[in-house]
Parts: sequence; C-alpha cells; structure tokens
Amino acid sequence: MSRQVELTINGKAVSVPVGTTLWDAAAAIGIDIPVLCHEPRLRPVGVCRLCVVDVGARTLAAACVRPCEEGMEVRTDSEEVEAHRRTLLELLLADQPDESARENTTGDDALYELARRYGIKDIPLPDGAAGHPRGRDDSSPVIAVDHQACILCDRCIRGCDEIQHNNVITRTGKGYETRIAFDLDTAMGESTCVACGECVAVCPTGALTHKAVHGLRLEEET
Amino acid sequence: MKRFKPAAERSEGAVIHTHAVDTLCPYCGVGCAVTYVADADRRRILFARGRDGAANSSRLCVKGRYGFDYASHGQRLTRPLIRRESAYPKGQLTPLEKRPNKPGGPVDYDDLLPHFREASWDEALDLVASRLKAIRDSDGSRALAGLGSAKGSNEEAYLFQKLVRAVFGSNNVDHCTRLCHASSVAALMEGIGSGAVTNIVRDIARADVAFLTGCNPTANHPVAATFMKEAAEAGTQLVVVNSRRPAIADQAALYLPIRPGTDVALHNAMLHVLIRDDLVDHAFIRERTDGFEAVTETVREYPPETAARICDVPAADIERAARMIGEAKAVMFFWGMGISQHTHGTDNARGLISLAMVTGNVGRPGTGLHPLRGQNNVQGASDAGLIPMVYPDYQRVDDPEIQRRFEDAWGVQLSPTPGLTVTEMMNAAKAGELKGMYIMGENPFVSDPDVNKVRQALAKLDFLAVQDIFLTETAEFADVILPASSFMEKDGSYTNTDRRVQLGQPVLALPGEARQDWELICEIGSRMGYPMEYPDVAAVFDEFAAATQSYATLSHAALGDRGRWYPCSDPATSDGDPIVFQDSFPSGRAKLVPARFKPAEEQPDAEYPLILSTGRVLEHWHTGTMTRRSRALDTISPEGLMEMHPVDAGALGMEDGALAQVRSRRGDVRIRVRITDAVLPGTVFIPMHFREACANLLTDPRIDPDGKIPGFKFCAVSVNPANLPESRTA
Ligand code: SF4
Repeated sequence: MSRQVELTINGKAVSVPVGTTLWDAAAAIGIDIPVLCHEPRLRPVGVCRLCVVDVGARTLAAACVRPCEEGMEVRTDSEEVEAHRRTLLELLLADQPDESARENTTGDDALYELARRYGIKDIPLPDGAAGHPRGRDDSSPVIAVDHQACILCDRCIRGCDEIQHNNVITRTGKGYETRIAFDLDTAMGESTCVACGECVAVCPTGALTHKAVHGLRLEEET
Repeated sequence: MKRFKPAAERSEGAVIHTHAVDTLCPYCGVGCAVTYVADADRRRILFARGRDGAANSSRLCVKGRYGFDYASHGQRLTRPLIRRESAYPKGQLTPLEKRPNKPGGPVDYDDLLPHFREASWDEALDLVASRLKAIRDSDGSRALAGLGSAKGSNEEAYLFQKLVRAVFGSNNVDHCTRLCHASSVAALMEGIGSGAVTNIVRDIARADVAFLTGCNPTANHPVAATFMKEAAEAGTQLVVVNSRRPAIADQAALYLPIRPGTDVALHNAMLHVLIRDDLVDHAFIRERTDGFEAVTETVREYPPETAARICDVPAADIERAARMIGEAKAVMFFWGMGISQHTHGTDNARGLISLAMVTGNVGRPGTGLHPLRGQNNVQGASDAGLIPMVYPDYQRVDDPEIQRRFEDAWGVQLSPTPGLTVTEMMNAAKAGELKGMYIMGENPFVSDPDVNKVRQALAKLDFLAVQDIFLTETAEFADVILPASSFMEKDGSYTNTDRRVQLGQPVLALPGEARQDWELICEIGSRMGYPMEYPDVAAVFDEFAAATQSYATLSHAALGDRGRWYPCSDPATSDGDPIVFQDSFPSGRAKLVPARFKPAEEQPDAEYPLILSTGRVLEHWHTGTMTRRSRALDTISPEGLMEMHPVDAGALGMEDGALAQVRSRRGDVRIRVRITDAVLPGTVFIPMHFREACANLLTDPRIDPDGKIPGFKFCAVSVNPANLPESRTA
C-alpha cells in the first residue's frame, strides 16, 4: 500500500494515495472541477487553467496537475475561483466561430457547455479573430480542422501521441498564429495521419470534428 | 459586442434525437467496444464513440470510427432474389476487370440484378429447403456443404454448423479460418491441445521482449498495435520479423527482414542458439514438455550461418534475436498470416511454439502465444464448431463417444466422417461430387486462391443459396439470394482474439424485408424437416454454451456490457482468465514438434521471376464487401496498389503509379504500382480486397498438409508495364 494523504475539499474530508492530483481526488468524492485541457485518459498538463482551485496559497492552483498535500483545505467554488473561470471562458470565447461545429455534429462541445453553465452572454472583449482568421484544413476525408475553434489545449496532441502512439500532431507558429500542425506542417490529409479519429474524440471544442460520413449532419428536430 | 450563442439557445428547447447503442466494432479480431449513435429512426449511424472495453479502453481505429456506414448503403439487399430461367446455365455475370467507363469496386448491380427476380420469403425459403433436401435424398449428405462466416455471431456459427451436421447430414462445414489461421490452430492443437491464445494482447505491457512475426498490427489490428507501441515506449523490446516492413518495425529493438517463406530456418536457428548457449528453461522443459530431444536433434543442422544464407539476414542478428528471447524473463509471441498462410504454415507455428516452450514463456504474466485473429469472430466461429473435423469446443467428429453425445443432444444420427475444408469443397464442386451449397456471409469467389478455379467450381454446383447483405461476387453464381442482417442489426456474442466474449446489440433497424441470419438458418432447418426453434438469441447461446465447456459458465446476462474472457470460473465474481495454462496444458504436457525447412514449391524462375505476397491494408477488410461501401474508407483507399521495390521497378522502367500487368501460372491482373522499399527486392505485394485487381487470380491453391491452408503469402509472378485501355475511365 502506498502512503495516504488526508485533506478536505469543499469541507469534505478525503484520503488519497500520495501523488494523487486535486482534480482526481475531487472526482473521487463526486466534486466536478471544470476543465478543458484534461480528461482522465490523458496525462494532465495544466494549460487551460479552468480547473484552478483555492488551496489557501497566494495564487490559485491548477487542480489537474497539483498533487494533494497533507492537511490541505481546498475550495473549488469560491467566488474568486468562479470569477477567474468566467474571465478565462470569455477570453476563450472571444474568437470562437459563431457556431460550434461540435455542437452541430457530436453535440459535446465542452467549452460551450461551460459557457452555458456560467451563463455567459455578452463577451466584453474584442474578437481576436477579426482580421486574423486562423484558418481551416479540410484535406482529410474524415476530419474537419477549424483552427479558429482551437484553444491550444494540446489534448489532440496527447491523444495522438500518448493514446494512439501515432505521433502525427504537433504545434507550430508563434503568438496568435500558434496552431496545431500535422507532421512537419503538411495538410492533415497528406500527412501520416491514419484517421483513427482519436484527436476528434478528445478535442473539447469545434476545432477537430468528424466530417459527415453520410453527407448527413446531426440536425435538430424541426 | 460578440454574443455567445450555443445551439440550445438558437431554438430554445430543441432536442437532438439520437439513439446510442453500446456494442462492438464489426471489423477485426481486436474486438473494440464502441457506442454507435444513430438517428432517431435507426436508419443511419451518425458517429462512433469509443467505449471502455477490455481490449480497447475507448480507442478505435479508422474502421471502427468511420467504417460503419456500409450498413445503410443503398445497395443493401432487401428482398429475396431468385435466379431467372434465362440466367442458366450458370456463370459469372460481371467481368472481374475494370472496364472503360465503369468504375472499379464491388459487383455492379446493373450487371447482376436483371438476372434475378424478387420473390416472397416463403417462395425463396421453400425453394432453398426443397432443393437442398432433394440433393441430400438423391446424392447423399456428402453432396451438400455449408460455408459459414467468422463475421457472424457465435450463435449464428453454432446454428449453422448444427444445420449442416444435423440436417444436411455431413460435416462439410467450414469458414474462412481455413484461409487465415488453420495452420496455427493445427500446430497449437497438436502442441498444447488448444487453438486459442494463451495470453491477451495487452499483457505485452508486462513482457520484457515481444516477438512479432508475420504480422502487420498497425494495419490489421490497429488498436492492438497502439498497446504494443505503448509497451515499446515503456521498455518492452520488440523483435520484429517480416518480409514486408510493417510500420511497427519503427518501434523495434531488432528488425529481421527475412526472405519470404524461410521462417522455419529462422526459428530453427534461434532454437539452435538457445540450446547451444544453454539459454533454455530446463525445469519447464522437464516438467511440461515432450519432444525436446527431437527438436534438439533437428535444429543442430541449423546454425545461424546456415539460416542466414537461407533467410538472407545477418547471422549476428539471428543470434541476437535468440539471445534476447533466451535472456528475457518474460516473452510474448505474436504472429499473423505471414506465418500461417504458407504451405508450411503449420511448421512455422510449430517453431514458434517450440521457442516459447524451451524458454518457458507460457502461463506467466507477460508471456504467451498469441496468433492475432483476423476477423471479429474468427475465434468464436471456430469455438462454435464451424470446422469440418470438430463439433463445438474442438470435440472430434470421429470420436464415437462425442458423436453419441451430440446425437443425444440434437436427436438425430450424425456422421462420423470429417468433412471437407473450404479448399476441398471447391475441388469437390469442380469434380461434380459436391452439388449443393449454402454460403452465409462468405465470398470465396474473391477470398479463395486461384479464382479461376473457384469460378468453375461455383458454376458447376446444382444449387447454391447465398445469404448476405450485399450482392457479392459469389452471389453471381447463386440460385437463391437471401437478404440478411448486418452486424449493426443483430444481437449476439462475439469472441475476440483475446478470448473475450462480448455482446453486440442492434443499432439499426433491418432494411426492407431483410431478416436475421439466425432465423434464416432455423427456417431452412425447419423447412427441411428438422425443427429449429428458439425464443431468442440468448437461448441459442445457452444451447451452445451447454455443448462447449469453455463457455459453460457464460450466458448473455452474465456477459453484460463488458463481456468476459473464457474460461471464466464464475462470471459473477470474475472477469475470466486472461492468462491460461499456468500449470498444465489441455493436452497435459506440450508436444514439441521439429520441422525441417522446405522451400515453397513454386519458386521464382526465368518466366516468373518475382515472389508475390498478398495481404490487407488498414482501411479495408476481407473482400471489401463492407469497407468498399463505406464512404470514408473507400475515399481514403479507393484502389488496390501493388507494392514493388525501387530496384525492381527501375529495372522494368516503371514509375510510381504506372500500370503493371502481373501474371502467374494461374491468371493475370492489371494493377497500379506503388514503389516502396518496405518490400524486399524480388518481391511484390498485392492487397486481397480489390476484385478488379483480384490478387487471388494469381495465388497458388496448394495447401499446407496439416492446416489445409493455402499459401497466400508465396507464389511466383512476372510483372511487366501494361498499356491501358483504361485511361478513358470516367
Ligand atoms: S482495431 Fe479492429 S475492432 Fe478495433 S476499431 Fe479497428 S477494426 Fe474495429
């Protein structure tokens, strides 16, 4: 048996093996911490910062990468934390396409889901995409790439490398031009991609979506 | 200011009506669990989600993720068809070759349909039953045969072999395992008394070394390959042997590109090194094996230098491969059709069994023998007795005690004579000895070797009933065609390469008047005078499990949504046994059988200077009946290409994409060339899926004496640049 640490999350006591992340510990007792860049099958990287929680320290900690410590008192839903998340969501939404390709296909856009949960309506920020569209790649017969919807969470990169071990996806560019790329930045359809679709499965937004296999899209009932 | 407009807000209360079903991927033996999401009226699948199955942990490959739309293809058969009088005498109704202005691809319905008329179910089923009965009554039971399918469920396989045995009255029942792993099964049955894998793919994570030979997992078992690569990244050393470089060789610690058909020499030399350097497990050999002396005797003649000349790889690499295996604590052996599809396929597998046994690498974590099964249910169809020599659970038909047991269970007299294998059926049909056949979900016209011979055989049959979801090349020779259920429409259990028995569930509604395969088998039996009635598929499973010891504890209810490995002592408390034979083998002690290297009979010569090997590509499957009707898969891989080494292509002045004429002693095809150094100089590779460049026009029908498997991986061909009438193709 590995050593355990004891802590409280939102006042609930929990005991977990040393090394467990705050996100996993919270999940184990049914506390859902919002996150975009992480899912249980992936190695956490802590880039989206939506999962920040208050651990009583000077700065908020990203729960997906922060290990539990003995005696920690963690709050996942304080006002400060929620305000922080709301700002992050607004920033992420500021340059999203008007409609989510993911909501229109598999119906599981995690960014949109969170925006709904946080009741976001008006976005008090300039549209980052105005004059700088980030582009699309429709070269794959099965996967549509919309860089505009990409939040650079790296889930597709980890899905491709660490789940499927195909090592096709990477990042390229600088600043606002940063985007995911295939092989040495070739079109997806011409790259060594084997079209397993894992990147679509792990993508939280409309950046990587299934093309309609039947020429049919999931449509709302009329 | 930008506003956030989620879909639900655009029309308040709008609900997306879908129908999500937890089931399995219909394709390969990996057996990935998947949720298919269909539209509300269950006509089309919209997308796939990986499910956390024992074999895949939510991973899928391109076939499972995007290859599902075949089931709702417009060419699905929806009404029974009867051959018109004008379509006799029987023969092939469409040309195999690509024609100008006709796209390649599966059978052209415009060519075929005019030769058939629609019929009612009663008319069609009565015709099938009465014609098969008439042949049985006039020519005897041995004039009838059935070909079942490794793509069907365990329940369908069980019912199918029961129909042939109890109603047709002979053991002439087989399926495509004959064409893929029959030799592996023959060697395993002889060696340890069980044909199934001794350990699951994912236990490779605990192996120090994995020996991967004659397999191309990234293309043919893609999700299994992800676990192999994962293991390699975590430290498992892969030793990869092949004559066409598989992508997994990129992860290999050692890759041996051996000359085709020389595996026996390689295995013997590795055994030679292990014994010479005393890297064997004496206790294991003493306690659990027989025949070590005979093997030692034989492999003495195969020092690495000798094998190096035969296999055309450095002797030092052979030494190194042997030492890696001998020095590791846990070694797993994986193999595919590059081992089994040879006229010495059984000898190839015997060598692998010996390598595992002399090093004691069976029955422990990270060890074992794993012949990678091709189709989703090839393990289960074999377990269910879709094999001419055995009843369910590999119980021999020529054992009087077993025969009596099945006679009691089924209430009929049964035949003690082993039946005909796939290849033997074609010979018997050609010779006029086999007169009637029932083929369910198989397409021997494209999948069997030497298609020209198969064509004559099928045309000669007095009566052929084909049950399928599309018009296949084989259906061109049918008297009656019965429209059946696709995987996506049926209930049933399937056993993957790991011996995991899992349930599939219907996602879609049956199209038109198509019916469930299991019901059709029962209808034919009942109409031939042997009532076959079951309330549901679960009841069929129960009868099958009662006859099959390894499934005895299982039922549909016990399998649940995650399935179980067999054997499973108690499904309520156990997931089943991933690793078997910890202490003993079903045959008691393992039997080591020595093999001598024999070159394949049809060696290249001046007229046919190149060696042809056949196989598969990632996006396609078997004869392409399904995958070529998937928009995604067909778009990614629309055409069969022949792989050729740059040296050979250069000598013929051929460039990448040039059209080649390929000839063997049995036929010829035209196919475009893909130049790659994945294949060895002097060899070419053609995928088997494409009827318009049908690899099996070329292949050699000679079979392995024990496994009765044809040597698809070796025949001699010539290649020449072709000039095409085909450039005008629209
Ligand atoms: S690996 Fe096999 S079972 Fe899994 S998704 Fe691919 S074809 Fe289907």
